[in-house]
Amino acid sequence: MKDVAVVGGGPSGLAAAVRLAEKGFDVAVIEVMGELGGMLEQCIHDGFGTKVFGETLSGPEFAERFVKKAYSLGIQVFLNTYVKQVKAGGRVKEIVAVSPSGVQRLETRAIVYAIGCRERNGFEIRLGGTRPAGVYTAGMVQRLVNLYGVLPGRRILIMGGGDVGMIVARHLQLEGAESILIVFPEAGFAGLPRNVQQCVLDFGIPFKPRTVVKRVIGKERVEGVVLTRVDEKWNPIEGTEEFYACDTVILALGLVPYTGELKLGVRIDPATRGPEVNEFFETSVEGVFAVGNLVQVFDYVDDAVETACIAARGVEKYLNGGLKTSPVRLAPSGKVRMIVPQRVEWVDEENVVAFLRPAVEKSNARIELRSSGGKVLERFFRRYVRPSTLERIEVSRSVFSGQREVETDIADG
Amino acid sequence: MRQILQTAELLCTRCPRGCLLRVKVVESRVAVEGNECPVGEKHAAEEVFNPRRIVSTTVRIVGARLPRLPVRTSEPVLKSRAIDIVAALKNMVVEAPVKAGQIILKNVAGTGVDIIAERDMERA
Ligand SMILES: Cc1cc2nc3c(=O)[nH]c(=O)nc-3n(C[C@H](O)[C@H](O)[C@H](O)COP(=O)(O)OP(=O)(O)OC[C@H]3O[C@@H](n4cnc5c(N)ncnc54)[C@H](O)[C@@H]3O)c2cc1C
Repeated sequence: MKDVAVVGGGPSGLAAAVRLAEKGFDVAVIEVMGELGGMLEQCIHDGFGTKVFGETLSGPEFAERFVKKAYSLGIQVFLNTYVKQVKAGGRVKEIVAVSPSGVQRLETRAIVYAIGCRERNGFEIRLGGTRPAGVYTAGMVQRLVNLYGVLPGRRILIMGGGDVGMIVARHLQLEGAESILIVFPEAGFAGLPRNVQQCVLDFGIPFKPRTVVKRVIGKERVEGVVLTRVDEKWNPIEGTEEFYACDTVILALGLVPYTGELKLGVRIDPATRGPEVNEFFETSVEGVFAVGNLVQVFDYVDDAVETACIAARGVEKYLNGGLKTSPVRLAPSGKVRMIVPQRVEWVDEENVVAFLRPAVEKSNARIELRSSGGKVLERFFRRYVRPSTLERIEVSRSVFSGQREVETDIADG
Repeated sequence: MRQILQTAELLCTRCPRGCLLRVKVVESRVAVEGNECPVGEKHAAEEVFNPRRIVSTTVRIVGARLPRLPVRTSEPVLKSRAIDIVAALKNMVVEAPVKAGQIILKNVAGTGVDIIAERDMERA
């Protein structure tokens, strides 16, 4: 029997596995792909690791540090192995996994889920028109271009102004696409300014705000799309339809935690769309932890990795019989869209690290934690907050003592 | 009258606010508008006189599990050279095994900067 089974061999899963193996636990990592490293293997651009390593690395370089560490610590790695079933109710948990060598059963005392997120697809936004070849998700294009050297097409339309769409636009521009247009319903790009400048403006890639694809046109292959302008509520404006000729449509519609792949009934937070967790990233099922992009989509892999390191401490407490008290709910309100963790319940001395997404754009903002009676318990000053940037705060333990619920909000500074 | 040599609009990337900087180059000095803090001015000067980026792409690799090897410039290069750098690597073929950090091409496109491998690639 293992002490810990980590499901998912991306940066978060590997960080948790490495930390736990360093503490002396017997750890296994189960990864569905043929290689460790997760999403980062295809992110060949730089910009990773500024917080964890204090230098800017490419995705593969960042991942490799954890992969090498994992192998050098003798962590058992199962590749090409898909977790099909989990029984996690009791102290001994059982994982049923499938691999080319057959069905395997693994017994373990704790589980860390780190299966990342998936891309939103055309069905979720009810993309209209025919279903020809040439419609891809952005992550798939990134994989084709950077792992296999395959260009999906020459004349490209990208739907979505987030970071992933912009990064893929730059890859395609450099690798020889003939034309690229980016469209999105918002008034401006949703991603980081760094990516707007370095991926779009640097290359003069054209873009159209307040524009969406009404339908895709083409029988065998994409021949073009019908674009339409939208208002502030994203409703189409009549009479603004126009045809745009292209052979490829790329959906960069955002990422969602991969909760559909969790084979057990953990509670899901509708705001993050990931599992609800406590301050050590333990789900609503005891001894089952969730870390990284599975919990919520992080802007920086560094933050995803930090959740894994915090969870490793939680797993240690769980395996050593640490104590809990009655849970204090940590709730978003008004100007905060979501917050992780959703509850605080372990007996522990250290500060609680929380990540929250503002619902507003504001300069000189105060992130406030309040009791249910409205008393401000702790506040954090920020020069500037905006929805596209996740905020990390470190909350003193004492804030939670004697409370049943603590609310977070953003007030004027 | 002083001569305006160049004007540019660019986004400051030093913080999440992302100020839109309107930059005028006047006699080898920059005049910046739109910045909310002094960092924007410094950033604008750097972006106008010496805009550098790490350039990442892939090259063909034979004898490995995958057909492409991710590579990048060992240091930031002038951003106007990105397209030439990728073009210079277009027909390049390397053979596995390769180690992360290994120099794949010296002085790419005359930039004085090397191209290095981003990862290990074993012989398959
Ligand atoms: C296009 C793009 C660009 C990005 N750019 C940046 C950037 O510039 N800077 C930055 O800091 N971050 C960036 N990110 C984010 C970064 O990639 C993520 O933060 C990071 O990969 C999250 O790590 P993770 O381990 O949580 O998830 P992942 O990397 O997604 O790893 C999850 C792993 O779980 C495996 N898995 C899934 N289901 C199962 C199952 N049932 N059984 C077993 N294994 C399973 C998957 O195969 C995968 O290996 C970018 C992301 C994308 C998509």
